[in-house]
Amino acid sequence: MDFTIRAATLEDCKDISRMILELAEFEKVSDHVKITQRDLEQDGFSKNPFFHGIIAEVPEHLKSREGHTKVGYSLYFYMYSSWKGRAVYMEDLYVMPEFRGKGIGKALMAKVSQLGLAAGCTQLNFTVLDWNKSSLDFYLKQGCWDVTSELGYHCMRCEGEALQHLAQGEL
Amino acid sequence: MAKFILRKAEPKDVSDILRLIKELAKFEEMEEQVVLTEKELLEDGFGDHPFYHCVVAEVPKDNQSIEGYTVVGFAMYYFTYDPWIGKLLYLEDFYVMKEFRGYGMGSEILKMLSETAVKTRCSGMHFIVAEWNTTSIEFYKRRGASDLSHEEGWRLYEIDKCNLLKMSSK
Repeated sequence: MDFTIRAATLEDCKDISRMILELAEFEKVSDHVKITQRDLEQDGFSKNPFFHGIIAEVPEHLKSREGHTKVGYSLYFYMYSSWKGRAVYMEDLYVMPEFRGKGIGKALMAKVSQLGLAAGCTQLNFTVLDWNKSSLDFYLKQGCWDVTSELGYHCMRCEGEALQHLAQGEL
Repeated sequence: MAKFILRKAEPKDVSDILRLIKELAKFEEMEEQVVLTEKELLEDGFGDHPFYHCVVAEVPKDNQSIEGYTVVGFAMYYFTYDPWIGKLLYLEDFYVMKEFRGYGMGSEILKMLSETAVKTRCSGMHFIVAEWNTTSIEFYKRRGASDLSHEEGWRLYEIDKCNLLKMSSK
């Protein structure tokens, strides 16, 4: 299939926002999405962006049933491993269902890897839901390994009231 | 005892930061995994576009550690992004030397980081903990942290440089 992979621009935020919701729906948590198109524009495209994006686009004659040509995306940012230094974190990777099986997901991930390596990163990290078997299989085929399973590391979060209490020094 | 200050790390602290990183890694039985150098810490933390931020806990000279150190604790963090809820503060490393524990340094460091998170309008603070590290897990749970791996099924994956190279050339 004919497609291009390119850096996301401000104009892509509408489609990125649409696809974020599609991915959240797939993960059965679309009510968790609070971020708007405007937030994405501010947070990803200002002087000090909090994330970077890449888009997979198909030509007009291959557009989706609803008429979209932007059919996949990845959001990533740079992080730091206190053991190994610079690393890249792939926050989201998504291809619309009707465009799967054509190498678009692999191409998006390859682009994130290239950009990460160019920036001096030695690892690519991301999280996957334990029930998402097709994604787990895809990632294992690319040479990934499950840090949670092998080293017992659990992802933790402190938010909302708990974060406020912590900031005020309350237990 | 108990006298200490918390301050933003400076370039001169990289030697202590690396020492403390290695001490923490040793406790996690992962010391041989630390390949980071002082030079990289300096370039990556104190250049034009820092990859991380760091706060250190320092004691006065007359309270220095057995080996003579005054920088006795640290936290390394950076900002990440969740496309559902926005900015987050990610706590990469958090450590206080054994002989300086129990004086509230850890709590003060966490308080400072949470203030930073709230001030920069982060929706939360994320970090990882080893499941065998029950003391730390208790410490975090007492402060309202939830275990996303356990509660929502998130598993952390990694691709190393070798496989990154293979993937980027496909």
